[in-house]
Amino acid sequence: MEIADELKIYDDSLVKELSNLARNNIEYWDIRTTLNNGTVLSFTNQRSKEISSYETLECGIRAFINGGWGFCVLKKIDKNNIIDGFLKAIKLARKSQSLCKFQFNIKESNPLNKKFKIKSVRNLESIDIKDKIEIVKIHEDISSKYSKEIKNTRTVYLDRYSKNLFLNSFGSQVYQDLEVLRLFSAVYAQRKGLIQNAMNSVGGVGGFEIMETEAAQNISLKSAKQAIMLLDAKSPVGGKFNVIMDPKLTGTFIHEAFGHACEADIVLNKESILEDKIGKTVAIEEVNVIDDPTIGQGKKFNLPYELYGSYNVDDEGIPSQKTVIIEDGVLRNFLHNLETASRMSIEPNGHGRANSSVATPQVRMGFTYLEPKDWKLEEMIEDTKSGVLCEDFQYGYTDTTTGNFQFKCKFSYRIENGEKKELMRDVSLSGMTLEVLKRITAIGDKSTFNYSDGICGKGGQGVRVCDGGPFIRIKDITVGGLN
Amino acid sequence: MQNKSDVSNLALFALNIAEKLTAKFAEIYFSLSDYLNIDIEENSIKNNEIGSDLGVGIRVINQKGSLGFAYTNRLERNYIEKMVKTAISMMRTGTEDPDFKDLPPKYEVYKSVNGLYDKDIKYLSIEDSILYAEDLINICDKDDMAISQSGNFSSSYNKTFIFNSNGLSIDSKTTISSISSHVIVKDKITNDTSFGYESQIERNLNDINGKEVVKTALKNAKRNLNRKKIKSIKAPLILTPKGVISFILRPLASAINAETFQYKRSFLVDRRGECLGPEFLNIEDNALIDGAVGSATFDGEGVPCKNKRVIDKGKFLKSGLLHNSYTAGKEDVESSGNAARDSYSSLPAIGITNLILQSGKSSKDDIIRNVKEGILLDYTGDRPNISTGDFSGLILQGNLIQNGEILDALNETMFGINLLDLFKNIEEISKETKIYGPFQAPFVKIADVQIIGSAS
Repeated sequence: MEIADELKIYDDSLVKELSNLARNNIEYWDIRTTLNNGTVLSFTNQRSKEISSYETLECGIRAFINGGWGFCVLKKIDKNNIIDGFLKAIKLARKSQSLCKFQFNIKESNPLNKKFKIKSVRNLESIDIKDKIEIVKIHEDISSKYSKEIKNTRTVYLDRYSKNLFLNSFGSQVYQDLEVLRLFSAVYAQRKGLIQNAMNSVGGVGGFEIMETEAAQNISLKSAKQAIMLLDAKSPVGGKFNVIMDPKLTGTFIHEAFGHACEADIVLNKESILEDKIGKTVAIEEVNVIDDPTIGQGKKFNLPYELYGSYNVDDEGIPSQKTVIIEDGVLRNFLHNLETASRMSIEPNGHGRANSSVATPQVRMGFTYLEPKDWKLEEMIEDTKSGVLCEDFQYGYTDTTTGNFQFKCKFSYRIENGEKKELMRDVSLSGMTLEVLKRITAIGDKSTFNYSDGICGKGGQGVRVCDGGPFIRIKDITVGGLN
Repeated sequence: MQNKSDVSNLALFALNIAEKLTAKFAEIYFSLSDYLNIDIEENSIKNNEIGSDLGVGIRVINQKGSLGFAYTNRLERNYIEKMVKTAISMMRTGTEDPDFKDLPPKYEVYKSVNGLYDKDIKYLSIEDSILYAEDLINICDKDDMAISQSGNFSSSYNKTFIFNSNGLSIDSKTTISSISSHVIVKDKITNDTSFGYESQIERNLNDINGKEVVKTALKNAKRNLNRKKIKSIKAPLILTPKGVISFILRPLASAINAETFQYKRSFLVDRRGECLGPEFLNIEDNALIDGAVGSATFDGEGVPCKNKRVIDKGKFLKSGLLHNSYTAGKEDVESSGNAARDSYSSLPAIGITNLILQSGKSSKDDIIRNVKEGILLDYTGDRPNISTGDFSGLILQGNLIQNGEILDALNETMFGINLLDLFKNIEEISKETKIYGPFQAPFVKIADVQIIGSAS
């Protein structure tokens, strides 16, 4: 595989020169350089609002010594600027080191010398802009014409193909040729004074073939149907209920309420409810939680592309790998980057991720999910005297210090005597993570398992992630409503 | 790109190509940001960062209103030429848009706003920046209950140049600096932990006060310890300035955005000219305050900025919308100078400048003292549904008020209200206000809010 011309600047002589500059000055360094090309297409009410394209070349240089980090972002990439930026990063790291209270060393790992390319069928670079626009127009057409009550539609197509080179002081040289695509469809429906909206997205790592999947082709119809459905939904009544969560909400709960507390940087900063909990029971015995961002999982879901949250190698040169977080109710592992793994004296597990080469890697999730068990959804509903079945989410957040979480659901159905009743909108669920993990009363089987994708924000950076699980039932969840 | 004539030459070069390739309208936007950033984690300096982001974006529009946009951070002429050609090919694939009227004209006069640039920030060294970060660390170290802090000090020097095919040519330089503290405290007797957050954003380095920021964060964190569940009640809600921002001003900023409005995604559609709240409710978006974070002489399209009243004596003004040149053209009004643009990589959207809920007559202490039973709300992570105005959410940082005293922090307590009801139910506004970046807010008392507790 030929690497992009822009990245050939890092020849043996430059790398040697950088290594010499680093010697006796710092313990570790890495350089990430990315050539990005991408397209943004945004249509509203069948009109183009944004048709744009970009090309950027970015470089971030990181240096480390004894607990202190320095980071320098270049605006122009040539040999002189790289050397100059490298020296600045060294200076910044030494300054950090002179003041930081926690001294530690980055544990050296084996160098990785590898090139990765996403095996797309229809390479994004080769697709004509007209073909991309055609897809957006079709979706706008479907959603606008679905009903007279649809007053406003929006379809956004985003793609990016990037070529990234990672170099570090362990001798790693990792080249990645990546293609990512995402399509959104939002629909607003109005009936008299009432306005309701629905939004869906499909994303993946791969080429234009992502647009040909059933999920992508149905996205606008799905949004339109949902927005119309919500016009008939009722406002919820607050109180404590048995709640059945669909895979999207289960995934959100596992990611937001639990997953962030497993990020080792949060643990070290004493913000996690899971500090000192490794080896302890944190959930009922049936609970198993995994984070697995490895490439190759798309086929598990019959997809011709890779999951949106997956990657070959993290942004610190560590290969992605499956990590067991909870095993049979017992907390086994946190998620780590180079720093947290070094400080907690374990091997890094490939969760050092950044949203671009000009941002520093943090501990981040990839594809986090709860493993399925043995309940059928129908059994779960039949077995529930009084409760709420919640599907799909609008957003969610958590106070990691206390574990108090809150999710806003899209669709919720009241359950009475084992039967699914009327639709409610804007139901919010709240609880305490560690209590809720012990109040799960049913976990769905494999047939109910699904995943969803999105962008997760932390420290000002958004990275692509997936989460998922089966339907689950939890008792005594606080449901908030307007009434 | 420090040299204005270099930038002008590049802009002319690009505008010429655009014109030759049949763009009827074209606009070139350059931005430079030189920044530094210091991260604190575990109450210790963790990372020092410096960087620079320089790039250019071009917007081209043909006679039918179809728009193409492209940007790059590679400023050599061959890449700029490639960018213009890409934008043109984007333009040619778009749909027509009769609502597009024109790019902004060349303006003769801009109102001057002082205090948006501070040379102390432009020439700030890492060594001096660290002193600000150390203020946060030292105070936290000395506090008995603080167990950790993450925080940040950052500053940036920003330059912007806008040129368009109507002859508009304008540039500015501004600075910004910010400091934030997120502290974790632990009650040593009950072992309960909690967090508190505070931040400050300023145009001038002298105004940054890290000590005050961390002290407030600590106070907020301690007030939120040993949280109790309460039973459901209907009671007054006292919003702190931070609560007012997250609960009233941010949602309002979206609801009065002319684009949201024109697409009928705002709960205020059909409410123009109506009375929404009491006589003493006044909200304005003022871009012309000296030294304020949201102030500017011109917006993201080069249109002069101004002061706009949004809610006047309780009445939502017909002229109370925030426009860029596109949404203004569509309604046949003048742009309000609210085109918002983060950098060369984005098209002009619509945003606030300084959104201000004006102070009232009561003192905040009196407002709280007169509450028999109520809730103090500082922070909720939830946001209202802008198209319906419905809100239901969790009180992440809030306390019970009884007989005029702020008591226990609340655990698993939610509340719900529609924003139109909220405006109607505003009972009192404090004379004390606080500024957080582009927002200014007082304490506000709202009557009769349904609080959903989880105590059985």
